[in-house]
Order: sequence, then C-alpha cells, then structure tokens
Amino acid sequence: MIDRISLRTALIATLLSVAGCASGPGGGIYVPIGSEPAKAPEPPRTSTDSEESEAPVWRKSEQPEAAPETREPSRSSSPSYRETGDGLSPAALSLVREADQLLAQGNVSGAIARLERAQRIAPRSAEVYFKLSEAYVAGDQLGSAEQFTLKGLSLAGSDTRLQRAGWLLLADIRRARGNVAGADQAEARAAAL
Amino acid sequence: MFRLCAIGLVLLAGWMVYLDAVVTSRFEGRRFEVPSRVYARPLELFDGASVSASALERELSLSGFRKGDGKKSGSYQRSGNRFVISTRGFSFPDGDEPRRRISLSISGDRVQGFSVIEGDNAPIVRLEPAQIGGIYPAHKEDRVLVQLDEVPALLPTTLMAVEDRNFYDHFGIAPLSIGRAMLANIQAGRIVQGGSTLTQQLVKNFFLTREQTLVRKANEALMSVLLELHYEKDDILETYLNEVYLGQAGTRSIHGFGLASQFYFGESLKDLDVHQIALLVGMVKGPSYYNPRRHPERATERRNLVISEMEQAGLIEPGRAARARGLPLGVSERPSYSENRYPAYIDLVRRHLARDYKEEDLRSEGLRIFTTLNPAIQYAAEYAVTDTLPRLGGGQNAEALEATLVVTAKDSGEVLALVGGRDPQFAGFNRALDANRPIGSLIKPFIYLSALQEPERYTLTTPVLDKSFTLEFDDGKRWQPKNYDGEERGEVPLHKALSHSYNLPAVRVGLDIGVDRVRETLTAFGVDTPISRYPSMLLGSVSMSPVTVAQIYQGLATSGFNTPLRTIREVTDAGGEALSRYSLEVEQVADPSAVHLVQYAMQETMQEGTGRSAYYTVPQELTLAGKTGTTDDGRDSWFAGFSGDLLAVAWVGRDDNGPTSLTGASGALPVWSRFMAQVPQHGFSPVVPDGVNYHWVNSEQQALTDEYCDNARLLPYIAGSEPTQTISCSGNLERRIRGWFEGLFQ
Repeated sequence: MIDRISLRTALIATLLSVAGCASGPGGGIYVPIGSEPAKAPEPPRTSTDSEESEAPVWRKSEQPEAAPETREPSRSSSPSYRETGDGLSPAALSLVREADQLLAQGNVSGAIARLERAQRIAPRSAEVYFKLSEAYVAGDQLGSAEQFTLKGLSLAGSDTRLQRAGWLLLADIRRARGNVAGADQAEARAAAL
Repeated sequence: MFRLCAIGLVLLAGWMVYLDAVVTSRFEGRRFEVPSRVYARPLELFDGASVSASALERELSLSGFRKGDGKKSGSYQRSGNRFVISTRGFSFPDGDEPRRRISLSISGDRVQGFSVIEGDNAPIVRLEPAQIGGIYPAHKEDRVLVQLDEVPALLPTTLMAVEDRNFYDHFGIAPLSIGRAMLANIQAGRIVQGGSTLTQQLVKNFFLTREQTLVRKANEALMSVLLELHYEKDDILETYLNEVYLGQAGTRSIHGFGLASQFYFGESLKDLDVHQIALLVGMVKGPSYYNPRRHPERATERRNLVISEMEQAGLIEPGRAARARGLPLGVSERPSYSENRYPAYIDLVRRHLARDYKEEDLRSEGLRIFTTLNPAIQYAAEYAVTDTLPRLGGGQNAEALEATLVVTAKDSGEVLALVGGRDPQFAGFNRALDANRPIGSLIKPFIYLSALQEPERYTLTTPVLDKSFTLEFDDGKRWQPKNYDGEERGEVPLHKALSHSYNLPAVRVGLDIGVDRVRETLTAFGVDTPISRYPSMLLGSVSMSPVTVAQIYQGLATSGFNTPLRTIREVTDAGGEALSRYSLEVEQVADPSAVHLVQYAMQETMQEGTGRSAYYTVPQELTLAGKTGTTDDGRDSWFAGFSGDLLAVAWVGRDDNGPTSLTGASGALPVWSRFMAQVPQHGFSPVVPDGVNYHWVNSEQQALTDEYCDNARLLPYIAGSEPTQTISCSGNLERRIRGWFEGLFQ
C-alpha cells in the first residue's frame, strides 16, 4: 500500500516541477506600509532611558468613532476571494527540492523541517501541504498526512491538476488507513474533475 | 611538641582530604551551569521576502550586526535601500548556515535583487537569530562555553604573558612570584601586585568566597596544588577561560571570554583582533574598573599596556603592536541583547517548555531554544499598544486601562508577538495568558458557523429576526437580551446581522440550532475549558484569555483548520543536538465551505460593519476580516481579526474589571488597526472552496439579481443553497413570470 502512495506522490513531484508559475489572479495583494512613522520610538529596552514622547496629539483620523458614516466603502471594496492559491516562489521551491533530497536519503524529520520553512514563506500554496503530506507518509504518520492533504486541497481552488493530485493522494492515504469508503469517495472526486 | 606536630599533621592531612574531595567533585562534576538561550525566529532573506528597510536594519542590530563595510563578518553596509550583509554563519538545528556575503535591496517593503556575493550560493539565506532571553541559574552567571582548541592562539599566550608567565612550569603556586609581589607590596606600603597564578585565580573564583584572609589564602594555595596534581594544564586553562568574571549586565554576570567577546564586541571570540584580545585580557584585573563602556580612557590605557606586554613577550611584531595601540577600543554601543526584553512572550515560552523540560535543566544545561518570535512584528505590536492606549478615552479612569495584543502567523499558528500590558517591559501579570474575560460578540462567528454548516436551513441571506423576546427558565428567572443600540430592525439578512453584530438575531439563531451545537463548534476550534450551557453564552458570557481567542480564531482564518499555537520550533542541547521539535499541525474541524461564508461576513464587518473604522488607519487595499466584542458597561473591549498573513487579537479593559466607555470598535480596534497599519503584508483573500459559488443577489429579497443593480451584492453560497428566484433592478420578482413561461413550453 505504501508503494502505491509513493507512486502517486511521484505525481506531485512532477506537478511541482512545473509549479512556480501558477500564481492565481485576484490573490491577496501585498500592501507595503510605505514609510514608517517619522517618530517611531526606539525598540523598547530594559534600560531605563525612557524617552517620553511628546504629548499625545489627536489626529482626526485616529478618533475611532468620529463620524463613521461619512465614508461608505465603494463597490470596489467588497469582500475579497480568489479562485486558486499561490504558486511556489523560487526560494520556497529550492527548500522543497532540498526536502526531496533529504526524503530520498530517508531523513524524514530533516525533510519536514525544510518543508515547514517552505510553508512559512509560501503558506497559501497547496503544493507545500501536499509535500508535507508526502513526508508524513514516508514517516508513517498517515493521520498527519491526511490532514495536510486536506489543507492542500483547501487551497487548490479551481486548479484541476492540483485537485486531482490531492484527491488521489487522499484516496491512497485513506485506503492505507483502512478507510475504504473515504478512499472511494476521494477517488470519485478525482474522477469527477 | 612532637605530639602537637603529629596532631597538626593529621588534622592537615584530614583537611587536605576534604579539600581534595571538594576540588575533584566540583571539577569533575558539572563544571558550569550554563543558562539556556532563547532565540527569536531567524530572518529569512530571499527575493520577495517581506521586510521594510528600517525593519531590516533593526533586525540586523538585534542580531548583533554592526554597521560597517559589510565585508567583515557580522557587519553590514547600507546605502539607501541597498544592503550588503556579511553573515557570521550559524548552526541551526536542521543544519549549518555557512558564512556568506549577500547583497539585496528593499523596494516596496520587499527584498529584491537578492544575491550571494561570497560563500555558497543559495536563493534563500537565514540570518543568525537574535537572542531574546535566557533562562539563568540561580546565581545569574552567564557564559558561552569555549574549547581551548577553538580560541585564537593569541588569547592564552597573552593571558599568560600578563597574568602568569610560568603557567606551564609551576605546580599551582609560584613561590617566587609571591615573594616578588610581597616585596613590591611592602615597598609600596599597599597591595600593588598579586602573585596569584592562573590556577590560584581559578580556585579563588571557583571554590572560595571573595574575602581576603590568611586562612583563605592558605586554602587557595593548597587547593591549587591539589588541582594541578589531578588535572592537565590545558584542562585548567580551558576552565579558567570559561570561568573568569569579565563584567556585569544588570543582575546577570558575564563570565568567560566566549561571552565577553559577544558582550563587548558583538563578535565571536574566534574573530577577535589583537587589540580586542588585549582589552579582554587587560580587563581580567578589574572588569568594573576597566569597563570600556564606562571608562574608555582607563580601558584604553590598560589595553595598550597589554599590547606592549604582548610585544615584549614576542607574541606580536612591533609594527602590529603599534597599529593595534592606535586603534579605537571598538566596543559595540550596547550589549547585543538586553535581558528580558519581551517578558510576556518569554513567559509563554517557559510555560510551553515546562510541559517537556525540568526547570533545573533549563537553568543549567545550556539548551538552545528556537522560538517563533518575530522581532519586527513584536516591535509593531508594542508600538500599537503604547501609542494607542493613551489616546483612548475610556471614561474617567483612562490610566487604569490595560491592553494586550496577541499576533500569530495565520497559516502556521506560530505566535509572532505578544504584548501583556500597557508597559510591555513589565514582567508581571501576563494578561495575554491569564486574564480570562468574557468574549462578548467574538462568539458570534461561531454561532453563525454552526448554523451555516446546515446550508439547507441557513445561508448568508437567510432572513433572521432582529426583534426582542423573553426567555423564561424553569426556575422562573427571565432573560431578555437586547441590542447594543437598543433598536430593533425586524428581518435582516444573516450576513448583515453578523457584520453589524446585532445581538437579537445571534441569540435567536443560536437557540434555533442549539447552544450545544455552538459549544461543540467552540470545542472543536480549541476551547479546552468547560463552556456554559446558559443561553447567555450566545452573547459571549464565556470567558477566555486573549491567547485562547487567538487559538479559536485560527480555525476561522484558515478555512476550518485548527492549527495549535506554537511558540517554539525546536530545542537543542548545548552541542546542537535536537531534543524536541514542535511541528506544524493542522486538523480540519469545520466544513471549509461554511467557514468561507463566515469569512465573507467578517470581511463585510471591516468594510461596512462594526469594524469599518479600522480603515481610518489601515490602507484601503489591505483586505481584512474581523469581529468586534464588547461586554456590559465596556468592561471588555475586544477585537479579533486577520489579514492574509497575520491573525491578531486585541483586548482593552481594566484589571479591576471596572466599567469603561469603550466598545470593541473604540477600544481594541484602534490598537488592532494601528498594529496592522504598521506591518507590510498580504490582504485577506480566501480561496473559494470546492462546492461554493458566488452569485449576484439582492440580499434583502433573497433573490438572484443583475450585477449592475444598485442593491446587487456578490455573495457566496454552498452549492444547492443559492436563491432560486430572480429579481430585477427595480425589485420585480421574476420567478412567477419565468415559471409561467416554463409551464407554457413544457
């Protein structure tokens, strides 16, 4: 059974080789802060050189309940959503590749550490979670593997390649855990794509 | 006389046996209690990494980097938004990060043009993490252990040249030196010279008190000889290098050359130059008197004396000595880290550690604890609290207002920052963990989530009744919930009831699906304490700490995946061997489709509902989702919400649980928004789950409508639950007409 899982995780590996360009449109846009407040205080320290800042200035924009009705949001600021998750940046991809090598050497915990680094810099990429699932399969922790697959699927959105890879992976993991009905269901989802 | 001598000898022999036992047991056993070191998360640099230029500079300074040419390891050069950084290299639990010289620029708060100029090429590099705290032995001695073979050769030779020229030849004491010192002291009429060998100095520090008595002197001499009998010279020398007292930082004492090098120069001992080694060796004589930060002139004079000794002993060339004497002291401005800068955060770390480690091991085994603290986020969080709190009204007792802020990484559950009170440096009551307060309307998303998991009964446009009612309990007590503004609006669509935080619909929906269902949802999302069964829980009479609120909101932010909060990634022993790893865990606890609908209403809260004043502070492009919470008489003002990257929970209130004039929107929300406005980040934009479709609807009429109608709203529905009827812009229902046509052509 484990063989079959590794067979299908190979599918994800090939998937990853073309990933990196699959960033979806309408994703959460990155908003820089521009410039920091001119009088940003020094990082707080334990030493007692407390620089008392000048008396608090009330700026109109900071009064919380000041005429909240005056600025109705325009239609453009309706709740946001998007159809797919993020792709993998080159940096995240390089960590995933390192994890692959470690996994090939049988170093599961090393691979997981790399993948968690990748997850921190690409937290909305389905691929990272599928790779984590793969690492947990290799470490024979199928419960965790199943959860990471589900998490990956929640980010696959309308990307059918990712959906298919995820559902097939889930089917294999569920079968290996003895959940035949769940496996069949997952396979049916993959087939319906 | 002979008997007296014999008794004396026996006593002396007995005393020697005792001293010998003392010497060997202390020296053999654990020689040093080394404090555990607590590190912030390392900053990862790569193309696209999110960091502002000023945050990068702060981060570098916190990690002990010095502004300079960017060539010497541990230094960086900044010109405008361009940085050249020479890393020192660091041994992480999952592998070594070698020394590198990297170049990058910051544009739009992101790293661009990242490249490795020197060293192993890599698309991503970790800086060495900042040390943010330590867990110290009771005596507060701090040290970084070094081995003799890894210290620069010039250090022990200089030390011997200055303190003990015959170290490798004597047997622990040097009678000649003692004689010479005595003579000099007698001539001067005061103590001007010490004749102690390094061994004696070590014994003095290691086993004895500091008092100057003859008995102690005799013991010191005896123990020195015993030490030399038992141990190799190199062992003694190495122990000396790690033991010697070299300064003080508050209550923490700086021992050994390893730590002193970091403390005074921000550099690793192996990287020190001649003039720096000379200063440290010179300070052995009097670390406080020659403190280079406080008495730079004295220290320079002493250093130059040592350099001359080095020259005379033939350790360095005259030319090099002259150059070294001409150099400034080169001491870093302040110690590379000050103790206990983040007391609330470290408190949480210690509680997590206490699950797996014994206190005495933490205090003595030199463990390395790699936490998830993000110094840039912590900085913004502290600023948000200290800057906002004085501006809040809050009634007469504005000074009594307290606040907490918990920030986590949305998808990993890592706790990035924690502020425990209005004075972030105060290491007392940790409100973020220990203030259990009623959560008020923060409970509402969980009520509606429980309802929306039954799409055949509830959708975002299901009309819910905003009308008062009275519950009568079996014991005759009555409960009559009210809206915050006291008004009633009749039927309102569910999404609006949530985004505007109306109380009456929330209670009605909660009672309809059952209090137990809401309790189950809360438990699944991470509440691990008993939850009240009284209907008043539907208005948030349930008490939780801000950290627990952050835990349960994690599931809302991540489409139904509970992600346990973590403060620690790894713990290693002093040698870098991994002891524990605390891995990312996820567990699906709710249907992602239903959570997606709740996320919609929580975004609407920010745009049209009770959270909209956030956008006075936060840029409009930053899409956010959140929920306000207020309890009776403004005793608790809450705000919990998230962006694409971060989840933050703010609480404002009084320790004595007294009333304030604040609401969630006027107390906690300004703190929360001030924080969010300072951090470059991604907006919230959830991926539409399988089985959810968006439709243009007239939400008041529960009907599909045209995109260009004034009252059209694009709303998500779980497949099969979308409205079946269509309405025109002018409000005419079209179902009947279409139904008639359909009937005609069947």
